[in-house]
Formats: sequence, C-alpha cells, structure tokens
Amino acid sequence: MNRQTLLGLGFLSPALLAVVMFFLLPVVLTVVFAFTNMSTSTGILGGEYQISESDLRRLPAAGVREEAVEMLAGADYAVRADTLALFAAEFGDKRAQELEALHGGASFDDRRAMERALKDLRRDPIRSVRERKAAAELFRISILGQRFPTEAAFVEAITALGIPEADQAALTEAAYTGWTFTTQNFELLWELPATWRYALNSALYVVLTLAFNVGFGLFLALSTFYLPTRTAQTFRAIWFLPRILPPVLYVLMWQWLTWDQGFISAILRPFGIEPINWMRHTATHAWTFIVLINGCVGASLGMILFSSSLRAIPETQLFAAQVDGANRWQQVRFVLLPQMRWPILFITSYQTLSLLTSFEYILLATDGGPGRQTEVWALAAYHTALSNYGGNLEYGLGAAYALALVIIGILLSALYLRFFNFRDLVAKPRIEQ
Amino acid sequence: MRIELQNFTKRFGDTTVIEDMSLSVASGEMIALLGPSGCGKSTTLFAISGIHRIDGGTLHFGDRDVTRLPPQDRPVGVVFQNYALYPHMSVAENIGFPLRVQKLKPAEIKSRVGEMAELVQIGNLLKRKPQQLSGGQQQRVALARALVRKPDVLLLDEPLANLDAKLRLEMRSEIRRLQRETGITAILVTHDQIEAMSMCDRIALMKDGRIEQISTPAEMYERPASRYVAGFLGNPPISFVNADANGRLAFGDNALPLPSGIAAQGPVVIGLRPEHFGPQHQGPCVSGQVSFIEPQGREDLIDVTLPDGQRLRAIVPAGHDVALGQTVNWQVDLSRIHLFDAEGARL
Repeated sequence: MNRQTLLGLGFLSPALLAVVMFFLLPVVLTVVFAFTNMSTSTGILGGEYQISESDLRRLPAAGVREEAVEMLAGADYAVRADTLALFAAEFGDKRAQELEALHGGASFDDRRAMERALKDLRRDPIRSVRERKAAAELFRISILGQRFPTEAAFVEAITALGIPEADQAALTEAAYTGWTFTTQNFELLWELPATWRYALNSALYVVLTLAFNVGFGLFLALSTFYLPTRTAQTFRAIWFLPRILPPVLYVLMWQWLTWDQGFISAILRPFGIEPINWMRHTATHAWTFIVLINGCVGASLGMILFSSSLRAIPETQLFAAQVDGANRWQQVRFVLLPQMRWPILFITSYQTLSLLTSFEYILLATDGGPGRQTEVWALAAYHTALSNYGGNLEYGLGAAYALALVIIGILLSALYLRFFNFRDLVAKPRIEQ
Repeated sequence: MRIELQNFTKRFGDTTVIEDMSLSVASGEMIALLGPSGCGKSTTLFAISGIHRIDGGTLHFGDRDVTRLPPQDRPVGVVFQNYALYPHMSVAENIGFPLRVQKLKPAEIKSRVGEMAELVQIGNLLKRKPQQLSGGQQQRVALARALVRKPDVLLLDEPLANLDAKLRLEMRSEIRRLQRETGITAILVTHDQIEAMSMCDRIALMKDGRIEQISTPAEMYERPASRYVAGFLGNPPISFVNADANGRLAFGDNALPLPSGIAAQGPVVIGLRPEHFGPQHQGPCVSGQVSFIEPQGREDLIDVTLPDGQRLRAIVPAGHDVALGQTVNWQVDLSRIHLFDAEGARL
C-alpha cells in the first residue's frame, strides 16, 4: 500500500465511518434484533429465571407436561422433615414436635390455611399474627414468583420440587425472563392479519402518492414551462415551500386547515355543512389528505427535475413542432414527454424507495388512524418497536418489520441499478441530441 | 405562393427590432435575407413562420391574410439552423411527424414519407435515429420534414451554417434543386454572401432591422445602392478610398477622372473592387507601393498602399513579377468604380 492509497483512504475515512455507523451498523443490528424476542419486558441485557402464577397457563404449550405443571401449582406449603427443621430452629423443638404430631405430612394450598394450621398449636401457641405469618413462610415450598439469578439455582430449586428430569429443560427455557434468539417474529408477521393490512396500506400509500407526485410534478413543470420566466420562477418557488418547511410545522398547518374548527369547516359552515375533522373523519378522508400532504412535498422534487430536463430540450424543437402543425397537447405528448422518460423513471424509482420507508408525515397527520386504516408498514415498525400504546415495546418484532423493508429496498435498488444501467447514464446524457 | 409582408414591426419588450419593413416575394421565387448577425433576418423569418407574433403590419400568403394565424395553421415548412430533429424519433417518424399530428392514416404517412425520402435521397436511412446521421443527412431529414406537409412557403434559417465546407457546397445546390423541383416559394436566411448569391433569385440585404437593398445578386454586386451593400458583397472585399471631387477625383498624389454622367462636389468615397484594379486593365493609372502579397494559386491578392496612406487591393493573375516594396502604377477600370457620398449613398 503506497502513500497515495493511504492518503485516499484517509480522506475517505469520514465517509466510510459515516456509512458504517449510519448504514451498515443499523442494517446489521436490524437483522440481529429481528431474530430475537427482545422487548421492554425482556430488557436488552440478560435475564433471570422465574415462573409466575400467570406463566403456568402457557407452560403446556412450551412443552412442560401437565404433572410437572401441577407440581408447580399445587402444594404451596408442606409440613415435612425439612420444613419442620427450619421451623424448629426458629420457634423451638417442642412446637415443631407438636405440629408434626398434628399435621405431619400435610400440605396446604395457600398461606391462610397454613396459618390456621399453626393456630392449632396448644401447648405453646404462637400468639402474634406477625410471627404466625413469618412461621407460615418457613413451610413454603413453591417457587412461583421467586427469582433465581442463575440457571443452576433454578434447576436446583425445581429438582427439590421433584419435577421430573424430562421436563426440566423446557421449564428452564420457559422460566428465562431475558431475550433469546428466535424466528417467532417472522411466524407472527406471517400469521397476523394486521401484517397484510399494513402491507396493503403501504402499497396503496406508495402507489397513490407516487402517482400524485409524478403526475402533479409533471403538470407543474409543463405548465410553468409555458409561462414567462419570471412568473414561472415565482410559481416554482411557492411550490417548493412544502419541501423546505419543517415537517412538524407543515403538518400542523394541514391540521389547522382540516380540524373540525379549522379553515375548511369554517368556510363550509355558511353553506350548511356540519363541521367535521376533514382529515380523520373516515379512512377515505385520511387517505386523501395523506396523499396530498406527502404529494405536495414530493411533487416539488419532480417539478424541479422535470423543469430542468424540459429546459435541456432545445427551443427550436418546439418551434419545429409548431410549424409541423402540432398543438400544445401534441407537443407535450409527442415531443416533450418522450424525451423526459429518464427523469420520470428516475423520480418514480427514487420516490418508490423513499416513500416505502417514510412515515413521518403520516405519523404527524393521522398517526395511522382512524383505527389502523392508514397504518403503513414503516409506521407499524415504528409503533411496534418504539411507540407502543400498551407500553411493551417489541424491539424484536419491530426489527422484523424493518428487516422486510430493508430487503425490499435492497432488491429494488439492485433492480433499478440494473434497469437504469447507471454507468451508461452517467457517461452520456440521454436528453441531449 | 406570393408572400407580401407590409409595414412589419417586431418588438421584444421595449426594444424595437424591426420597424416598418416591407418585403414581397414572388410565387416560386427564392429570396435570401442576408445580413450580419443581429440585423433581424431570423426574426423576420420567425415572424413569417408564425413562431414570433407580428407586432405591427400585415402578412399575406397569396390573397390570404395570415397575420394572426398561429404557426400550426400557416402553410409553411421551416428548416432550422440546428435542424431541430426530434432525437427520440427515427428518421421516418421525424419526416412523418407533421402528417401524424394531422391524424392521417399510417399507410398514407408511410407512402408520403417514402416519397419525400426519395426526393432528398435518404431512402436507405429511414430506420436510423438522428444521432446516427451525419450533418448533411440530418439536413436532408430536416428538409424532408419541412416539405412533407406540401407547404406553400419554405423557410430556411441558416441551413448550411453547421456543415463543413465540402458538405455546404453540396447542400447549396441540393437545396436549390429541391426548390426548383417543387416550385416552392422559399426564403433563405444567411449571413454568408456566397450562399445568398449562389442560391437565390433575389437578395434582400438587411442592416439594423431595415432592408438596405433588394435586387438580383448580379444587380446588387454591379450596382450596390450604398457603401454598406458594396462592402458586404464580394470576396475579397471592395476597397474604399476617400477622395475629393472637384471636376476630378483627387486622393493624395493620385487623381481619377470623374465617370461620365456623375456630378459630384466635395468629399466622396470611391469603391473599387480588386478585380477592377491591376496591371491587366485598361484605363487611368493609380500609383502606390506594394505592401502585401497573398498568393492564391491562380491569382495573387496584392495590397497597394497609396502615398496618402490609403490602401487599394488588386487581383493580379499569377505569373507577374511584382515584388514587395515595389512602386507600381496600375490601371483602374473606370467604368466599374462606384461612387458614394459622405453618408454612404450611391451617387
């Protein structure tokens, strides 16, 4: 490696670092997370071992046999040699002997029953309620709700309970509260009807917005093309505003326009139309405004690109078309549009990719509502992983959502690169004569 | 089709480019609009084609007033300097475009395109794209496209400017042949006097938005209406000598007799073409010193500096023995000199 190569790498390093930090690393982490069941409840670090009352119901599904579950559930408190020894150490041998005589070998379902049993002591009763409670605890043999920091401690505990060896592995796995590697996210995505709904929403969102972007961008470019320069520039500058406005402010203005005491409602009230929230009244309302909000941002990009490619077409071609007898529409249809094939294809492919992953305007406008009618795939990923109403943020599932987008994005990019033959495109402009 | 442009005025914003210009072109005639760049010749052409609006005056094709008609409705074909071919269409589609927008049947378009392509001799190139053609071939396509609509008027805007010297010669006669064969009325815009003189029946020489003179090429060359016209035509250009007219034309130590039929007094300008001065002519002599010799093969261009510092140019057949610095006393063909007054008008 000579000095020049090193120097080149040196100059490249900030860019390489940025690519690694902000592209490669997130992609790799997304892949990793997608194969875990990481969530708020598992935490992102390791976990402990614990079986709770509510876990019992799901244990058979996890492969633990019914007998083992009954062992865990039943026989919470037992009077037997080992527990009596503990009791004797604290409350004296006499009491222990009396209790053994009265209830030796018995077991109780809950603490109150155990306490009642302790009341049966006559020779030297335990009078204090508190002491009786503490005594009852000594007979407790259940591990439900108990935390074990290591696997070894947990296995020891269930062995003590008498859980058969055959069930121990499954039980240990079920008791683990930390995250584990799993493919269940993808199974879940496949099975959930909501997933298909989000995919359809995304497709609808991309197709409608893209059609609006390209169509309206073309309309703006062509209409300003035939205007005097000064007027055209002013017009374009106005249409560019949505793009340079901060998204929050921009959507806030739409909200103001559409809410039930907003501009549209106020205008329509004198005509006897009931004020409604125009953006969220029905799914159709919501979709209309989502397309408009995103479209007005996206159309300006198309407008700029289309305008410049229009201006690259020599003016004399239009003169020629005029004397050839072509009217405005024929000039656009036969002379201008065919020469704008590449910019149109570029905008289409570029915006397909960016629309697939964009959700910020929807988040700010309807947040997926009404209901989940405008929840697109990317927004679902965000909601699942980072802003869940229930409070349990499912990082793993969210990453699985995102991974699907990453894969679609990479596939589409590869397709476009091949389709556009970018090397050719860079070497020679297609618009020039 | 006769073209009648009357009192034509064209303004761009506040600047008046052409004011009160009139031009009439006879049916079947080919006329050149000749002039330096910026004189308004292309503007006039674009106004006739309808691409530019006419701000004042009228335009008639035959008896029909077309002043307010959009270009689509005027029976004109235009060939542009850069040909303005549609790059995304094949040659056949380019030529057929004027017919396609008229919604003619594909079969008819095809036969008329074929006909036209034969006329301009590019029948074998119909499937190509314009980028795959040479400049001359593109020019032929442009001509075919302009003519396919069977227009009454053909307008050519500097059609040869983008061609190399050899092709230019070829296309010059080619365009003239097409114009003659179709009998179309044609207007050629050019800044090249040779193009104008060799291709056209008449020349309208323009200067600053006015027509300086309009006549046949020979007439314009022989009897230029002004010093400007005399200076514009001719290669090598005419020499001008300031003289004092007082019964004779005196300049420095030299003097020429006043040509017959001309009465002039005071300062005048003599215009003398190089081919009318030299040792091979008959007439009164002018003496001076040879200051420059430019061999051209068949003949040499020789500059003669007069005693008062003014310069005459002569075309002398090769084989002379004139040397640089030599003092010569050469004849002037007196019947061919042009006299202009101080304002540049012909005397």
